[in-house]
Amino acid sequence: MTDLLAIGAAGVRAFQAAMTQVGDNVANADTPGYVRRSIRMTTGAVGNASPLLRDRGDGAGVLAGGIDRASDAFATNGARIAAGDHARYAARGDWLARLQTIVTGSDLDARLGGFFNAGSDVAAAPTSVAARTIFLDATDQAATAFRGLGNDLSRLSDDLASASDAATTRINAVTAALARVNTELRRIAAGGAAANGLLDSRDKLLAELAQDVRISVTEGARGDVTVRIGSGSAGAVIVTPQGNVTRIGVRDNGSGAELLLDPTHAAIPVQLPANGALAGIVEAARQVAATRLEIDAVATQFGTTINAWHAAGTDAIGDPGGALLSTRTVATTAGRANAGTAAIDVGVGNDQLLAAGGYRLVKDPAGWTLARADGSASISGPGALTLDGVNVRAAGSARDGDSWALDIVAGAAGLGLRPFVPARLAVADRYLVDSGAANAGDGRIRVSVDPLAAGFAASPPYRIDVTAAGIGTISDIATGTVLAGVTFDDSGIAGAGFRFSLSGAPAVGDSFRILATGANSNDNGNARALAAVRLAADAFEMRLDASTAGIGSKLSDCRRLAATALSLKDDAARAIDAISGVDLDREAAELTRLQVAYRASAQVMAAARDLFDTIFGILR
Amino acid sequence: MTQVNTRAAHAAAVARMGDLSRQLDDTQAQIATARRVSAPADDPVAFARAAVLRRENAANAVTGRAIDAANRRLSATDTALESVGNVVQRARELALQSNNATMSATDRATIAVELVEAEAALRTLADTRDSDGQRLFGGAIADRAAYGVDANDVTVWQGGGRAPAVTIGGSSVASGSEGPDVFGVTDAIAGTRDLFAALSTLRIALAEPDADLRTTGLETGITDLDGHVTRLANARGTLGARLGRLESETDRLARADLATRGDLSKLEDLDMPAAIARLQRLLTVLEAAQASFSRVTSLSLWDQLR
Repeated sequence: MTDLLAIGAAGVRAFQAAMTQVGDNVANADTPGYVRRSIRMTTGAVGNASPLLRDRGDGAGVLAGGIDRASDAFATNGARIAAGDHARYAARGDWLARLQTIVTGSDLDARLGGFFNAGSDVAAAPTSVAARTIFLDATDQAATAFRGLGNDLSRLSDDLASASDAATTRINAVTAALARVNTELRRIAAGGAAANGLLDSRDKLLAELAQDVRISVTEGARGDVTVRIGSGSAGAVIVTPQGNVTRIGVRDNGSGAELLLDPTHAAIPVQLPANGALAGIVEAARQVAATRLEIDAVATQFGTTINAWHAAGTDAIGDPGGALLSTRTVATTAGRANAGTAAIDVGVGNDQLLAAGGYRLVKDPAGWTLARADGSASISGPGALTLDGVNVRAAGSARDGDSWALDIVAGAAGLGLRPFVPARLAVADRYLVDSGAANAGDGRIRVSVDPLAAGFAASPPYRIDVTAAGIGTISDIATGTVLAGVTFDDSGIAGAGFRFSLSGAPAVGDSFRILATGANSNDNGNARALAAVRLAADAFEMRLDASTAGIGSKLSDCRRLAATALSLKDDAARAIDAISGVDLDREAAELTRLQVAYRASAQVMAAARDLFDTIFGILR
Repeated sequence: MTQVNTRAAHAAAVARMGDLSRQLDDTQAQIATARRVSAPADDPVAFARAAVLRRENAANAVTGRAIDAANRRLSATDTALESVGNVVQRARELALQSNNATMSATDRATIAVELVEAEAALRTLADTRDSDGQRLFGGAIADRAAYGVDANDVTVWQGGGRAPAVTIGGSSVASGSEGPDVFGVTDAIAGTRDLFAALSTLRIALAEPDADLRTTGLETGITDLDGHVTRLANARGTLGARLGRLESETDRLARADLATRGDLSKLEDLDMPAAIARLQRLLTVLEAAQASFSRVTSLSLWDQLR
């Protein structure tokens, strides 16, 4: 009979504990990473009625055993991988979207189109100052768009580097925390509330880690984990059950992204698995680097091609065209150890004079020193300094020993319009050509600029006479001196600074003139040649289009993959949720059941008391 | 077994509704801009193609402006040539009139005065400028008069090169005529005289007292003028051909422009009825999702526990 009371009491205790657990589940229904728990009930130990064990015939009662976490290691692992996969595409997609915004937002395509169209407008009105001014403005806009894009891309690269640094820092913080959890798990008893709490944090940390990098997890007897990079048991161990951690870093080399184990001490490179946000960031960084390379190449090509085009013409003053675009500039970086607050203002007068190695500016007790980085020249003084056309002015206060590096920047960021007046725009061809009005044949002279051609001494204007079929002379019009005999064929004939060829069928006795273009010419030959530069194979606009479309297709591809990965991730999350999630309805049902059982156990105790009362009644 | 009243299930349902809202927003933005493709990622191939078409469109507009400029210059040249032709015709009539034995010396002197005027008119015409202020007959040299008089009092063409050309679809069309093509050249060896020389020869012949020499001189002058009439007709013919070429090119540009716009619209523009239908459908789905979500989640066993 005392047993009945004890059994009832055991039931009350056990169901109370179970209900407490239900309450705990409900209270944590909204806690991320919380795994549903239940009390494991066991029948009380029965035996031979010794002082320690109850007699077999008396009934056993119930014991509230350990607390079970409703988790499934396989489902959890699947969810981790799916989440990492999605994180990879999501991170890559986010960065590629930024890249796309930067590239399309630069409006470079339209600016380049505007430049070439302004060139055509100049060809239609070669002497118009308005058309020339508009052309120079369009040139400035194109160069500015290149520069803006170059700078934006460089900032994006920096942002990506920070993002991958942040990701590795996060990974290292999480692995450090995991190591502490491992140590704790090995120390305390399994099955208790504390151990379960630790296991929850462990799973949360692992999930967090898997967001950034692909890991494989091996669980020990007490829930302590071994974490490896990559899949399978071959990966490098970054967290051991004993609580040791290997820090990681990341770098991208030509053949692919690499993880560096222990980057600050004895770095060991291992391949970065293609999973997790870190992989997405590195992939995006690779795309940004490729885009920068392409944009810089296009910018360099633009600078050199346009300058070469301009140099082939003659400006309104009668001089050969000068360089229209500057292709280099300097970027100032303050020394890391600078103690002062000086701001440095740098201007580049003539990019062609810049020394290839860059410059260095140092503040010393005597004043300032601006020197070429290779030490071949320097200038010192108290205030503004100029060396090779680099003008440096300092504002604010600098301490002695402060230094600044002035590095040469080429590519897109280095492009700019040089100071130009409209009259200096080389719209006309270098040489004018005409045919004698009395010519009987339909021969045509073509002249192209070739600075190296030196068939005879320069003395324009020249006259070409066809003296016999396929043969002629070129003479100086002013003196009538024959400078050279020429044979007309398709190969260019070397003149003085130019080459010429005669096409068509000239008649004997026909004559032609080659004149050096003078000031204020009405010719538009060089402006028209710009259209040919635009349409040349592999031209700038085509390259840019290809680059932009490439980014667009990578982004849309990435978005499709991200959508697929998201549904996989959702599926995996649902699978876990079915096992570990706290469903309030289920808890309510559970609670009802436990309440009934509790009440029944209490009734058992009441029945035992009634029995006692009956017996006491007999005795009375 | 999928559970309904768990945190993750809630989050998933909310995410699904969020996704619907995002699609709604995208469709709404497409409708507001009436464009299907607004970023390369929307349709990379269409975006690249559209960039080429837009460029073509802008280039066509520029070519149109260049053709307009060339047209202005060619028309001005044509007008000038017509005036030159009139002067030459008048001079030829005067020469024929004066090549008559009944003409008195006074009559011939009057005619000579008119010829002087005609020559002056020609010199003015030779230095005609277009509406942009550029000399029409100087070729590419713009900073001096097209014709001048050298030390030997011979009229020479001071220009050089060719009139500025306009590039149309890879080939170029000259936008004018050069002086020698219009006024001819004086060449002692070939025995040719330019218009100015022809007129002054005629004037000198008129002053010739000897009747035979005068007749010879006048007939030479008339022959010269006949040659010039032919040359001018040729020059005007060439101009006409160039104007015709520009006109057909303008027509082609207009057609190409229309075709490009059509292609661009096909590539980038939104199928509005389809988009609106899609918007409506998404709205319905979202409303249904919200309603069913609130119904399902409001069902709770806890409400039944008393």
